Amino acid sequence: MLMLPEIIVVCSAALVLLADMFLAERKRVIIAPIAAAGLASAMLALVIFVPQTGSMLGGRFVIDSVAWWFKIFFTFSGLITILLSLDLLDGRTAVRAMGIGFRGEYYSVLLATISGMMFLISARDIITLYVSLELATIPLFILAAWRRNDVRSGEAGLKYVIIGAMASAFVLYGLGLFYGITGSTTIANISSQLKNTPALWLMAAMLTAGIGFKLTIVPFHFWAADVYQGAPVPVTAYLSVASKGAGLAFMFQLFYGIGREFIADASLLIAIFAAITMTLGNTVAIVQSNIKRFMAFSAISQAGYLIMGFLSSDSGGSAAMIFYMLVYAVTNLTVFACIIWYFNQTGKETIEDYCGLSRTNPAIALAMMLGLFSLSGIPPLSGFVGKFFLFSVASKAGYHWLVAVAAVNSTISLYYYLRIVRQMYIEPADENAIKIPITPVLAITLTALTVAAVIMGIIPILYETISKQLSAQWY
Amino acid sequence: MGLVSWLIAIPFITALVIIALPQKQSRMIRWVAAGGCAIHLALTAVATWLFWNAAKVDVSSVKTAMLTKLYLVERLEWFSSLGIQYFVGLDGISMAMVILTSIIIFTGVLASWYVEIRTKEFFVLLLTLSTGVFGVFVSFDLFLFFMFYEVAVLPMYLLIGVWGTGPKEYSAMKLTLMLLVGSAFILVGMLAIYNASGLNTFDLQKLATVNFTSDFQKWVFPMIFVGFGVIGALYPLHTWSPDGHSSAPTAVSMLHAGVLMKLGGYGALRIAVYLLPIGATAWGLFFMILTTINIIYGAFGAITQRDLKYFTAYSSVSHCGFVLFGVAALNMMAFKGAVIQMFSHGIMTGLFFGLIGMIYGRTHTRNIHEMGGLAKRMPWFAAVFYIAGFASLGLPGLSGFVAETHVFLGGFFGNGWASITVMRVLTIIATMSIVVTAVYVLRGLGRVFYGPITNAHFEHLRDATIPERISTGILATVLVIVGLAPWFFINMIEGSLMPLINRLNETGATAALR
Repeated sequence: MLMLPEIIVVCSAALVLLADMFLAERKRVIIAPIAAAGLASAMLALVIFVPQTGSMLGGRFVIDSVAWWFKIFFTFSGLITILLSLDLLDGRTAVRAMGIGFRGEYYSVLLATISGMMFLISARDIITLYVSLELATIPLFILAAWRRNDVRSGEAGLKYVIIGAMASAFVLYGLGLFYGITGSTTIANISSQLKNTPALWLMAAMLTAGIGFKLTIVPFHFWAADVYQGAPVPVTAYLSVASKGAGLAFMFQLFYGIGREFIADASLLIAIFAAITMTLGNTVAIVQSNIKRFMAFSAISQAGYLIMGFLSSDSGGSAAMIFYMLVYAVTNLTVFACIIWYFNQTGKETIEDYCGLSRTNPAIALAMMLGLFSLSGIPPLSGFVGKFFLFSVASKAGYHWLVAVAAVNSTISLYYYLRIVRQMYIEPADENAIKIPITPVLAITLTALTVAAVIMGIIPILYETISKQLSAQWY
Repeated sequence: MGLVSWLIAIPFITALVIIALPQKQSRMIRWVAAGGCAIHLALTAVATWLFWNAAKVDVSSVKTAMLTKLYLVERLEWFSSLGIQYFVGLDGISMAMVILTSIIIFTGVLASWYVEIRTKEFFVLLLTLSTGVFGVFVSFDLFLFFMFYEVAVLPMYLLIGVWGTGPKEYSAMKLTLMLLVGSAFILVGMLAIYNASGLNTFDLQKLATVNFTSDFQKWVFPMIFVGFGVIGALYPLHTWSPDGHSSAPTAVSMLHAGVLMKLGGYGALRIAVYLLPIGATAWGLFFMILTTINIIYGAFGAITQRDLKYFTAYSSVSHCGFVLFGVAALNMMAFKGAVIQMFSHGIMTGLFFGLIGMIYGRTHTRNIHEMGGLAKRMPWFAAVFYIAGFASLGLPGLSGFVAETHVFLGGFFGNGWASITVMRVLTIIATMSIVVTAVYVLRGLGRVFYGPITNAHFEHLRDATIPERISTGILATVLVIVGLAPWFFINMIEGSLMPLINRLNETGATAALR
């Protein structure tokens, strides 16, 4: 029962592949609904059947409230990604996208990475931990290179493979050292036998590089901009949300699973990494003109905010982090839904192309503005509340300077988000600009996301639930 | 939902109604906006009456109170695990500020009667902004306070960027970014207070019962004071103000100079001085020096300006200096002066910017040197402009006199913590600004309204229309009423200033014991 959601996701991945094999091209439109239904039922199974505590396979697969919320996050962002991919893959775009197709493979690969992420947060053994990390990562290489006729997409895929393989090597070597020192592969044993030795710091350095790569922590962020720009837009959306979540999940495992004794020692480092990550991400984003690169740097800076949650040793930090992760997923996907819509309909992807959008499509411009404001933390949107809680964690840990850096960074981020708002609201539209159509699926998804981005900051129930559940069974 | 919640909600509901109206119906949009603001004004009157009756009973008990007494309180648990509540109410200072805002927003809507470009969005943003402002003035939960504060700041970007004049995008961006950097400071201080208290609450009244350590107060106080100082145009962080105000459209300048800048003085009193009295006593003199520069610098800045809006913006910097000067002087007289000045300056600048907008709409120039003899064609505008000008230079009988007298007397009396000689010297220097103010106000107004008509085009200008007369008339009347009968106003705020003074005195006592 505990593994039911994962099983559903894996099965629907297989089902999608089979359907792709046996159906005629005309009937392959039902593949996406199958994948979406698979994820939706996995989410449902998670809510209904999976308890917030439990273990199986001799304690190597564990569910706790943190894992439960991470799984909600992964299935949710996967589901939204599928909904956002529909138009592009079914060819319902005004501008013909080159080299897109092979729907069955696309969705099954996407489902595979989601299942990997779901295993990642539940694994309590470093071997399964590593295998699930690879399962979550390798399909992403394929997805990034999906536009096979496009040089940029190929470059993105190649870059991602090479650097990703390097990061995996670091992680594997770091995890190997754990086994070498403690002679055990289960997290519980390693955690109890770990001593403060030079080898520990070597491991920490290795793993920092590995996690930094996944989470796009500066200075391990350099792959992000090219990959985000080259990949198809829905994949970029997925990378910026779910892949970051996977990085956080892995970091969570290492921090609160293995390195519990050493959290206090690492907090200064975390604070420094957070500060440089958000500062660099924000300052570089200012000069970007391609909206996907722009969102890449925005996502880098958001990673800086997210890891502030690790500054706390009690459950408050993780509650704030998980809450902000959910908020970030909703708001970032709101913005990406608008970008995907605009790209599908016009084929344009630079910031200047958005001029006058508030005249031709006021509702979508409003949604995009709300999403951007929420990302930069403007009340009463959810991003404000989420960031506020994270800042409070840093302040509680005594890092007042980090709060100042983070708050000033929010202002910088507002500066560049306002660039897009300016294009949409202040710059005049082209004289012959007309209302651009939107497909029903995208319209519904976008509406739901925007509403969620607004009410998550006003209705306290989500945060209260997370906070209560986490503090009830904190380590 | 109680009365205070309605005070926050009415502008927002009006904005929602306007969103639902079709873009083309600009006439209907205007009427809805004016109607919403009129209802708000009526509710504010009811709230004032209720407040007054309730506060009358408590006059003697507040004399020794350590916590400010709140009326019409509403509480609702919000993010309860972090101690965040929806906690609103009114005390004397917030009541005064709510009255001010309600008047300004009503007259501001009337003053923007002739906005024809994207009318719908304009009023929606304007009303959203005023929702934020009302929220700040009635919030007694720090989280709520900060949230409304940011809501009040942000719509300004679009309001100036879209409907402004001159280098509008530059000004809009400068204003927004500077104010938000200020709010970053506030956030650091606020979270530090929250975590240091150990009470797990953002409730201002509960936080006020905590005795924070002296070292803690000494670093947090300047953070919060400077943070609010940015929006209160504290020298040298005032540079957004002239650019922002001169680029903004009329109603936005009115609301911004009239009300938003008061958030600075209000926040400094409500949070910095209220929660951190030891910090206040340690830093009071330093900020008095900065605000003295403010007052003098603003006044001299105004002399050299040719653009009427820059002229008023610099004079605002000078006058807002009085507010923060009063707050930093830390005694009853100065506090009273600061609050009256917030109110008086709000009304006065609102009137100034409203008039400038209306005159600019006719002459199409704001350059003082290009105007002349306008009084012949526009007697109403000239008369009202002179009332505002006289209030600004502190003529007895108008509200500016009451406010400035209190501030200067307060500064001269000194307090128990700073050197009285230095305070007196600073007060005397600041008082000099009145002379400078008289010079620029009289010279500027004389140029604009008297002398021969310099431009043939001015011969055909018409005087104020009905909405313009109502709007400027209300503001001028308020200036006169507060000037002639200030005791009503002073009684209202005094009870809420007593706790601030009591808290300061308590720290003085403990400091002496050490």
